[in-house]
Amino acid sequence: MKSPFRSVFGRRSTQVERYLTVLIIVYSAVVGFQNPRFLSLETVFDIVHEGAPTMILAIGVLLVLISGGIDVSFPVVAICSAYVSIKLMWAFGLDALWFMIPVSIVIGLLLGLINALLIHFLKLPTLIVTLGTMSVYRGFMAITLGTSQYPVATMPKSLAEFGLANIVSVEGEGSSYGLSVFFPIVVVIFIVTWFILYHTMLGRAVFALGSDEEAASRIGVNLLRTRLFVYGYTGAIAGMAGLMYFAAMQNVDPVALQGFELMVIAAVVIGGAKLTGGEGTILGTFLGVLLFQLFQSTLVQLGLASTWASFFFGAVLLFSLAMIYYRQRKSDQRNLVFRIG
Amino acid sequence: METILKWLKANGYESVLAGVNILVLLLLGLVLGDAFYSISNMQSMATQVAEFGLLALAMSLAMLTGGIDLSIVSSAVLAGIVGAEFLTGNIFDLETTDPTLVMGAAVVAALLAGLLCGLLNGLLIAKTSIPPILATLGTSIFFTGIGTVITGGASLPVRVKAFFQLGVVTVASVPVVFIIMVIALILAAIALKRTRSGRRIYLYGENSIALRFTGVRHERLIILLYAVIGLICGIAALIMVSRTASARVGYGEAYLLQAILVVVLAGFNPFGGRGKILGLVLALMMLQTLSSAFTIMRYGPYMKVFIWGAMLLAVMFLNRLMNRNKRATKGDESNDGGKAMVAAEGSPA
Repeated sequence: MKSPFRSVFGRRSTQVERYLTVLIIVYSAVVGFQNPRFLSLETVFDIVHEGAPTMILAIGVLLVLISGGIDVSFPVVAICSAYVSIKLMWAFGLDALWFMIPVSIVIGLLLGLINALLIHFLKLPTLIVTLGTMSVYRGFMAITLGTSQYPVATMPKSLAEFGLANIVSVEGEGSSYGLSVFFPIVVVIFIVTWFILYHTMLGRAVFALGSDEEAASRIGVNLLRTRLFVYGYTGAIAGMAGLMYFAAMQNVDPVALQGFELMVIAAVVIGGAKLTGGEGTILGTFLGVLLFQLFQSTLVQLGLASTWASFFFGAVLLFSLAMIYYRQRKSDQRNLVFRIG
Repeated sequence: METILKWLKANGYESVLAGVNILVLLLLGLVLGDAFYSISNMQSMATQVAEFGLLALAMSLAMLTGGIDLSIVSSAVLAGIVGAEFLTGNIFDLETTDPTLVMGAAVVAALLAGLLCGLLNGLLIAKTSIPPILATLGTSIFFTGIGTVITGGASLPVRVKAFFQLGVVTVASVPVVFIIMVIALILAAIALKRTRSGRRIYLYGENSIALRFTGVRHERLIILLYAVIGLICGIAALIMVSRTASARVGYGEAYLLQAILVVVLAGFNPFGGRGKILGLVLALMMLQTLSSAFTIMRYGPYMKVFIWGAMLLAVMFLNRLMNRNKRATKGDESNDGGKAMVAAEGSPA
């Protein structure tokens, strides 16, 4: 008799996934008890709309973490590609999504490829390399294009409409709400990423690279090509997420998302992605981001100011990390595995 | 003469840094002249470098073990908030209490808060084996969270006037805060070179597994090290609070990138085991002179961000080239840690 989880995902659920699911259910129940309106379809749709860009960025982070690196440049890549694509579109006198989206994705891809090349040839911790590229990208954009903001009145009309478009609309009491077009985009990215990670040689190479670089290269994994894929893909989807972020915020702000990278990495890490072992699941990432988004938007409903968000999120993060790595430490001790660091 | 040559040979990287420093100083003298070489500019540079220098020292200690501390800025900010809490009049009645007592309590509280922050990092890294990068990422969010809860996101104003003196007072026209930083750097240099724990920190960075097999209590070493890092952040916090007369969450976020830049520039190996305080001093000097020069030349904040990022990449690139040449002449004696080298040899590309 297969468990329902197994028949859908074709594997056993990880401990982190179970623990996060319980945490999210308990938390939602507590919030719902305080404020019954919380447990509604509208809340779900709201979270989808607000969380979609973060979710896409998190998928990129997951990929990088599985490959054994840490990329902190992705929010800057997202913002830069989207901002440059908008500026470029204006230079052509256009206002169309079909121009912005591919251009933004291509720019994100290029920035990601630069990251990959530097990481591969400098052979230094990915954190430090991407910290450098992050500053260079942001600084370069700000110097050359300026940092003017475009609020809803002056931002591209097609982008503003994109942010408000729904695929399903529900007429509620007094106000109508709907499921954002972001939903299918996120689902497509989930499926593509899942397919690449688990059903292609490229995906196996990403896991191999993260588990043991030396072993990976000895069995013939092309490290450069794998890195180009990991960081290029992350950059490309970040380019998409950047446009979605501007659309969702209804504001084009070229200096937004500062410091956001650590939050997204934290959300993915809570979801069980390990820096040291080529481990991580898409479901875990989804749950981690969901928890982050819940804390961001619902603490007020518990009667706590939103100032508590970082506190709770940090506490949950530390607890999850301690749990994940303490288990690994115990199993390492049993198996006499010694790790550097 | 011979001893000088010998020293230059032994400290190859530091000599190059010193040379670049002299070049930068000469160039700035030519371009900016008196605007740069004035007592007031020197003093303001010395004051500015103090808190940043302490944070960079904290980062460099973490990097010596092959770790990294992403929480230096947030621990410093939290320690500053805890200290400033005593100086706002929320805890003591400032009218009736002796200012010395208030300030004493604030200093102790801030240092203690910093120490506890560091201790938490150390315990997490040593006792649960969370990689330093993730542990300190988690604590940095957590510390920021505590700081936000205490202040409600607002800025805490310091009402004890005498406390501002710390950032202003000079001894023989040298700012006291600068002297504090120099003392901390000297103590760190001595501790790293002359004490048993100091040598073990290098060994840990070189090969933590070998160190473990020699019977050293490596967990205690790591806890101690991160506690010291936290204490240094606490000292930096006091300087921050006295200089800005306030404490708030979000202060000094740019310091994290700059601290990593300066430590890499100083010749520390991010994989651990290599790096000298002398290099750190030279790198700090260079960064501060450049930073002041950019301010005099009225560069915007993004120009600075761009230059720091480009510098970080350039330094890493040059290090890479230098190490490659070294390997060509000295056989396969690698300089950048086992993990990284493996890929270099095995990569088909």
